[in-house]
Amino acid sequence: MASVNRKWYDGMAHTEDWWAVWLGMILFGAGLLSIWGVDAVGWMAKTKTWEWTKFWDSPSFDSLLKVSHGKEGKAYEGMSGIASLLVTYAIFAGLTTMGAYFQRLDVKKFFMGFTILFFITWGAWIAGHEAHFKALKTTQSVTQSEIYGKDVYCTTKVHKCTGQINKALKKMGVDAKGGQAPTPEQAAQAVSESKNAINMSWGLQLGGGFSYMLALAVGLLIGNFMKGFAGFLKEAAKPEWYIKTAIVFLGVKLGHMTIKSTTYALDLALTGAAATFVAYLIFWPVVYVLGRKAFKLRRDASAVLSSGISICGVSAAIATAGAIRAKPILPVAVSMLIVIFAMIELVILPTFYTAVAPNQPIVNGAAMGMTVKTDGADAAAGQILDEMMVSQHYRNTGEMWEADWILSAAILTKIWIDVFIGVWAFVLSLIWVYKVERKPGQDHVRASEIWFRFPKFVLGYFIAWLTYVALVIWAPEAAKAADSGAKVVQSPMRKMMFMITFVAIGVITDFSKLKGMGRLATLYAIALFAIIAPIAYVVAWIFHNGMVPPMAVEPTAVLGVVGLG
Amino acid sequence: MKADLEMNLIHDGRDWIVRSEKLEARGENFADLDEDLKRTLRDSGDYPQGSHLTVFMGFDFDTIPTWLRQYHTHYFNRFVAVDL
Repeated sequence: MASVNRKWYDGMAHTEDWWAVWLGMILFGAGLLSIWGVDAVGWMAKTKTWEWTKFWDSPSFDSLLKVSHGKEGKAYEGMSGIASLLVTYAIFAGLTTMGAYFQRLDVKKFFMGFTILFFITWGAWIAGHEAHFKALKTTQSVTQSEIYGKDVYCTTKVHKCTGQINKALKKMGVDAKGGQAPTPEQAAQAVSESKNAINMSWGLQLGGGFSYMLALAVGLLIGNFMKGFAGFLKEAAKPEWYIKTAIVFLGVKLGHMTIKSTTYALDLALTGAAATFVAYLIFWPVVYVLGRKAFKLRRDASAVLSSGISICGVSAAIATAGAIRAKPILPVAVSMLIVIFAMIELVILPTFYTAVAPNQPIVNGAAMGMTVKTDGADAAAGQILDEMMVSQHYRNTGEMWEADWILSAAILTKIWIDVFIGVWAFVLSLIWVYKVERKPGQDHVRASEIWFRFPKFVLGYFIAWLTYVALVIWAPEAAKAADSGAKVVQSPMRKMMFMITFVAIGVITDFSKLKGMGRLATLYAIALFAIIAPIAYVVAWIFHNGMVPPMAVEPTAVLGVVGLG
Repeated sequence: MKADLEMNLIHDGRDWIVRSEKLEARGENFADLDEDLKRTLRDSGDYPQGSHLTVFMGFDFDTIPTWLRQYHTHYFNRFVAVDL
C-alpha cells in the first residue's frame, strides 16, 4: 500500500510523527486521571542512586529501582522495583509495538529490537546512577567543608540531604538553619543519621548526565563495532519517534515552569522566534552561496545541504529536496551526513559550552537549539548540557539551579525552527517551480504542502503545555490533583524516553558512512563550526546574556545565612 | 480541487515513474515524464483529442528508506495540467 499525502488527515494512523502525539497524549491523559483520584501512571519504574559496596553487601533490585507512585497511587506502594520495571516494560512495549503495527513496521522485529533496547537502556541508566558517578556533595560539604568534611555525598536531591542533616543537628540542639555552626563531631554524627547522606572517598558528581553519556556510548559501540547486531535493532531504533514522544511529555514540564516563571518562559519563546529568523534568513543564504561558489555544488545539492545544516537537519533536507523536486537519493545522502555530524555535535558541544561559558546556562541552551540538527540530537545535547551545567554550578558555588530550564531553552528554540519548515519549503517550491525550472502552465504547488510538512508532534507538545496552564488558571484545585500524575509523566517517563533515544541514536550512527562524502562533508564541517555555531552563539548571547535558571531551593532556606559564608 | 486523474509517483534511481491502475509513464526529468504521460494518455484511447486534464501525482513516501521516514513524512505532490 502506497503512502501518499492527499487529505489533511493522511498519515495520522501510520506516521511516526503522529504516533509521537498519540503515545504522548495517551500517557499525558493517563497522568491527568489523578484529578479524579486515579493513579494510572504510578506503576512507572524509576532509578535510585546506589553505592556499589553497599549493593555488594546486600544485593537487591530494590536498592537500584523503585516504583514512582504519587499521592493517589497507594495501590502501587507495595510494588517491588523489579515488578515495577516489568510492568513499565510491558506497557511501553505494548504501546510502541501497537504504534509499529500501524506504522507498518515489521512488528516481530520491532518487538524484539525494542525489548533489547529497553533493557540496554535500563542497564545503562542503573549503572549511571552508581553514587561515585552520579551523587553530588551535600550543600554542607560544598560550603562548610571545614566542619563537615569534603567527602559527604547525597544519594537523593541535595536539598533533602541538607534538610535531613539540619534536622539531625536540631535534635542535638544545634540550629544550623538559623545560622548556628555545629562542631565537626556533631556534623559527623548528623551526617551518619541522615538517611541519604553518605561518605565516599571519591565521586565524579556528574548528576544524571553520566547515564545519558553511558547510554550514548553503548549505542555508538553497537552502531560502529557490532554492525550485525545494530542491523537487527534498527527496526526499533527510532530516536526521532522516542524523542518526539519525550518532547510531548516535556510540554507538561513546561506548563509547570510557565506557571512558576511566566516571563522567563515567554522570553524563551521570543528568542525562539529570533532563532527562526537567523536559521532561515542568515544561515541558509550564507551556506547556499558557500556551496555554490566555493564548493561548486549543483543548485539542488546546495539547497538541500543548506537546509540540512542551517534549519532542522534531516527533516529540512527531505522537505527541501521535495520542494525543489530533487531526486530522492540526494536527501538520503545528505541525511547520512547530518545524522553523523549531529552525533559529533552532541558529543562535543555540551562539554565545550560548559567549560567555556559556565555562567551562561540559558545562552548555551539556546545556542544548542540553533546549532544541533535533528530533534533527537538537540534534545539529547540539551539534556546533557542541563545536567552538566547544573551539577558543575552546584559544585562550584553550592547553588542548585532548577533542572530542565537549559534543556527547555534548547528545545523551544529548535521547535520554533521546526514549525516553519513547511512554510520555507513552500516558498522554495514556488521559487523552483515558477522560476528556476519554469514550465508555463504545467505544474502547480498547493498550500496543503505546508500542512503535510508541519511537524505534528509539536501539536502534542503545545496541547500538553496549554492544558496544564489552563488547568492552573481555571481549575487550580484540579491542577493540584493533576500534579501527582504529571510528575510521573514529565520526569521518569520523559527521562526514560530520552535514555532510549540516546541508545537508539548511537545504534543508527555509523561513522564509516562519512567515507566518500569528501566535498559535502568538508562543506558541512566548515559551515557548521565556522559559520553556524559562532553566529548562533552570538544571537543566543544577545537575547539571554546573564539569564540563569531559578534556584531549585534557595540556599538560605536550608542552610542559614552563616552557612553560606 | 479534485484532479481528473490520480497517480502515484516514485523515482527508481534513474527515472521518475507515475502509475495508476491502468497507466504508467516515466521520464528522466519532469519534462520527459509529462511528455510520456501525455503520449500514454493519448494512446490509452480513454481521452479524446483536445481534452484538458488535471493530474495529481502523489509521491509514495514508502519508497524513502525506512530509517529516514522517522524524520519527515512528506516528499512532494505535483498537480499537472495536460492538454492532449
